[in-house]
Amino acid sequence: MLLNRESSGERWRKRRDGKEKVTGELRYLTDMTAEGMLYGRVLRSIHPHARILSLDVSEAEAYEGVIAVITHQDVPGLNRFGIATPDQPALCEDTVRYIGDAIAAVAATSLEIAEHALSLIHVEYEVLETITDPTRALEESAPRLHPQGNVLHRTQVKRGSTDTALADCAYVVHQVYSTPRQMHAYMETEGGLFVPESDGRLTVYAPTQHGYKDRMQIARILGWDEERIRVISSPIGGSFGGKDELNVQPYGSLLALKSGRPIKMHNSRQESVRAGLKRHPMKIEMKTGMDEQGRLIAHYVRIVADTGAYATLGAPVLNFATEHSMGPYRMEHVDVEGVSVYTNNGLSGEFRGFGGNQAIFAMEGQMDRLAEMIHMDPWEFRMMNRRLQHDPGPLEQRILQTNGLEQVMQALAESKLWQRKLQLASSADSEWHDNVEVMSGLSEESSTFQPPWIKRGIGAALAMHGAGLGYGIDDPAGGRLALNEQGKIEVSFSYEEFGQGLIATLEMMLMDLFQCEPDDLSIVIGDTDRVPHSGSSTASRSTTMAWMALQRLKTPFLQTILKIATQITGVPSEQLTTGVKGIRLLTDDPILLEESEPVITYLEIAEYMSQAGQQEQLIFDTEFAYPTTPDAVVGGHYLYTYAAVAAEVEVNTLTGHVKLLANYHTVAAGPVINPMGFLGQIEGGSVMALGFTLTEDAVMDQGHYLTKNMDTYLIPTIKDMHTSLEVEAIEDLPEGDTFGPRGIGEIGSVALAPAITAAIRDAVGVWVPHLPVARELLIQPIETWQEEGVSPR
Amino acid sequence: MKTTNTTWQATVNREHRELQIDPSRRLLDIIRGDLDLTGTKVSCEIGRCGACMVLIDGEPVNSCLTMAYQCAGKEITTIEGLHGEHEDQLHPIQEAFLEEGGFQCGYCTPGMIISTKALLDQNPLPNDHEIKEGLCGNLCRCTGYGGIMRAVQSAATKCQQQDTQLPTQQQIIR
Repeated sequence: MLLNRESSGERWRKRRDGKEKVTGELRYLTDMTAEGMLYGRVLRSIHPHARILSLDVSEAEAYEGVIAVITHQDVPGLNRFGIATPDQPALCEDTVRYIGDAIAAVAATSLEIAEHALSLIHVEYEVLETITDPTRALEESAPRLHPQGNVLHRTQVKRGSTDTALADCAYVVHQVYSTPRQMHAYMETEGGLFVPESDGRLTVYAPTQHGYKDRMQIARILGWDEERIRVISSPIGGSFGGKDELNVQPYGSLLALKSGRPIKMHNSRQESVRAGLKRHPMKIEMKTGMDEQGRLIAHYVRIVADTGAYATLGAPVLNFATEHSMGPYRMEHVDVEGVSVYTNNGLSGEFRGFGGNQAIFAMEGQMDRLAEMIHMDPWEFRMMNRRLQHDPGPLEQRILQTNGLEQVMQALAESKLWQRKLQLASSADSEWHDNVEVMSGLSEESSTFQPPWIKRGIGAALAMHGAGLGYGIDDPAGGRLALNEQGKIEVSFSYEEFGQGLIATLEMMLMDLFQCEPDDLSIVIGDTDRVPHSGSSTASRSTTMAWMALQRLKTPFLQTILKIATQITGVPSEQLTTGVKGIRLLTDDPILLEESEPVITYLEIAEYMSQAGQQEQLIFDTEFAYPTTPDAVVGGHYLYTYAAVAAEVEVNTLTGHVKLLANYHTVAAGPVINPMGFLGQIEGGSVMALGFTLTEDAVMDQGHYLTKNMDTYLIPTIKDMHTSLEVEAIEDLPEGDTFGPRGIGEIGSVALAPAITAAIRDAVGVWVPHLPVARELLIQPIETWQEEGVSPR
Repeated sequence: MKTTNTTWQATVNREHRELQIDPSRRLLDIIRGDLDLTGTKVSCEIGRCGACMVLIDGEPVNSCLTMAYQCAGKEITTIEGLHGEHEDQLHPIQEAFLEEGGFQCGYCTPGMIISTKALLDQNPLPNDHEIKEGLCGNLCRCTGYGGIMRAVQSAATKCQQQDTQLPTQQQIIR
C-alpha cells in the first residue's frame, strides 16, 4: 500500500501528544525549573589526550554564588559509566582521553556565575600523543588509551576458503569505502532537572532511551540502592540513539546531592557536539568475486571502526556492521573481520541503524560495481544473488522466515521510478533530448529544458535489517495492563517517547483491542516509579514488544473485566464486550454499538472494585524477552525487516552539487499500526540518510571538532529534501506469525546512501566510495558540455 | 558580574509587559526565563536552527540573536500567543500541523509554526518553492520535512477559508 493520508483512512489520526506540541504547552524536561534551583555546568578537558597533573577548585569554591563544586573525589560509588562496558569516568581522575572528558562540575545561583566559576578551576595537564587514526592506534608503539590496549572489540565470520575462491573468480571488485562521523543533531540538547527529595530520594528528570538503565547507572555512581532514585525520562526532543548513554545525569545527580538543592543542567549546542556521541566512522574494505554468469562466489571484508575514547556500545555496533556486511545475498565463501579501535577522536556510539548504515553502503556499492562489470541490470543482478526465503541468516543462524526480501525487490522493480530507469536505459542510444522528454513526462519536478551540465541518474539499493539486541544480550520485554482507579484502561511500559509516535501507536493498539475511544485510555511511560521493566526503546524493538505484551495481556484482562461486569449487572459475560466508555452488549449492529449506553461504565467497575478493595484483580503484568535466534551466534538477529530504495538525483557538473529528486522507499515490516508514524519514520530516516550521504560530517582535527555548531555541521534543511518520496508498506506476514508489527525506526535510514551513489554513477559516471560525497569529484571538465555547443548562463 | 538594569517594555502576546532587566539580555532568555514562556525553544543559539523563532512586529526573528533593547516597545508574538479567540482554540496552522503529522518530537515545532505564520501572512498562497524559502531557516531532525510541507500547504488553504468566511459573515450582518 502506498502510504499517505488518503490511503490510511480512519487510521490517520491526530497524535495523542500532538496538541501540546503544536501549542508549545508541552514542558520538555529541559524546560523544567524548581524553587531554589541551581545551575550546573561541567568543566571539560581542553586536550584530547593528557595526564592531569594537578586540579585545584578552591578559587571556584570560594566564589560568591557558587554552592557546590565536584571532582572525582566526590563520586561515592563507581566513577564509571557505559551501558555495556562502564569505562567512561563520570569525572576524570588522572587522564583525559577526549575533549569532552569531564574533570569537574559546578553548581551556582546563576548560569553566568556557574560559567565564570569554570574559569576559576585550575588544571595542569601534561599533553600526550593524540591518536587520531585507528591505524595508528593499532600499532605496537602507540600509547595505550586503556589498560587492555586500544582494541575494544574484534569480530570474525569465516566460511569456506575465500582466498582461493577469490583467485578463481571470473570477476572481482576490490574497493575501500569510508563513512562520516555523523551527529544525531536532535534539536533538544542534553539536559534535565535533578531534585533531591525531602524523603531522601533523588528525582532525575532527564531524557534517555531506557529510564531503568539510567537508574541503575546513576545508582552505581552514587553508591545507592536503585529504588532511591526515580527517573522521569519522557518527553524527549529527539534522540536517534544519541541519548542512549548517560550524558549530564552523573553531574546533575552528584551536584544535587552535594548542594542539597535542585540542579538544572542544559548543554549548549557546542557542549553537546563536544561531549556527545556520533556515528562510528568506518573504513570498510571489500573484495567480492563472482563467476562468468554473475553468481557471487566469495566475499572478503575488513572493517575498522573508530570508537573514540570510550566503549559505549561500540562492540555491539561492530557486531551489527559485521552481520550486515554480507547483505541479503548468497555466497559460499566469506571472510569478514572487524575491529573497533579506541582513539582520541570524540566519542562514537549508538545511532539509528547501528552500524548497518555503514556496512550496507559498502555491500550495495559492491553489488552495483559487480553488476556493471558484466553489463547486467543491477536489480536483476541482486535478484539472482538474493538469499531465498528458507535460507539461514547472514551468520548462518536460524531466522524467522518471511518473504519480505522478495516482496520489496518486486515492489521496487514495479515502481514508477525504476520503470522510468529501465525506459531510459532502453532508449540510451537515442538523442539526449529524448531522455529529457521521458523524464519530464513522468516527473512533475522535471524542467522541460535541462542544460548539459545538469545530469540525472537513478539508482537503487537493498537492505535486510535486524531488530532487537541480538543473541547473547539481555533483551527483556514486558508490560502492564490495568483498569485504574479513574476508570481508564491503563497501559504502562518502560518505553520512551522521543517523537517517534510511541504514544500514538499504543493508543491505536488499545483502541483496536478494546473498541474503545482515546478518552477511555491512560498511557503511562517514562517514569521508573510507575512503569514495569519492559526494556529499552532502541533497536526498532518497542512496537513489536508492546504489541506482543498486549497480545499476552488482553485475554486475562478481558475475561476478568467481563466476569466482574457479569457479577455486577447479571448479564452473562458471553453477551458482553468492551467498547466506548464501558462494557457493552455484543451486537453486530454498529449503530447500536455506538449510540446505546454501556451496560456498565469502566468508571463504575473501577469504583465497585475500589469499594470491594479488589483493584488488584484488574492489574495484569507480563514479562518475556525479545525473540532471538536459537543459534549461539553473538549479536545474531531473529527478526529482520526489509527495504528497497530507489533514488533519482540531479548532479550539477559545474558545482558538484547533488540534488535528490524522486525517492521511492518500500518496507516490509508487517502490519502498519500507525500510518502517520510509519510514514514519518521513513521520511525522517530518509532525510537523515540524505545528510549522511551528502553533507554531514563532524570534522575533527587533532582530536578537536572543527564543526562546532549547526552553521558548519550541515543537516538537511527543507530546501535540501527530496522533491518527492513515495513510501510503500508491504504488510504481509507468514500465516500464524506471533510477532506482529515490526519496528521501522531505523530501516528508513539505512539504504538511501548506496541508492544515491548508484544514481550519481548513472548520472555522471563517477563511483563515490567515500561519504559524504565530495563535490570536487563531480565537477567535470568544461569541454564535455562545450562540445555540445551550449554555454552556461 | 555587573549588570545595569533598566525598564524594558513590550507587548508580548497582546499583553503589556514591563521588566527591570539588562538591555543586552537576550530576548530568548526574557521569554523563557523572565516570562516563563517555554514554548519558544533553545537549540543552536547562533540563529541557525530557528527553534527560538518569534514574531517581532509580524516579522520572524531568532530570539537568540535579539537583545532586549532591540525589541523594546515592539509587539512580540510567541507560540503561546497564536491561539484563536479562546485559549484552547488552535490556530489553523496548528490544526494543520496536527492533522498532517507536521511534527514528531515537537521541539522545532513552535519555531516552525511561527515561521509558517510569518510566511502565510506575507504570502497567503505560497508555492512549494516559496514554502521552502520561507522555512529554510528552521531545522527539523525528525520529520524529513514531508509532514511539514503537507501541513503548510494545508494551513494555507485553511487560513484562506477562514479569511473568506469572515467577510461573508460581515456581509450577512450588514
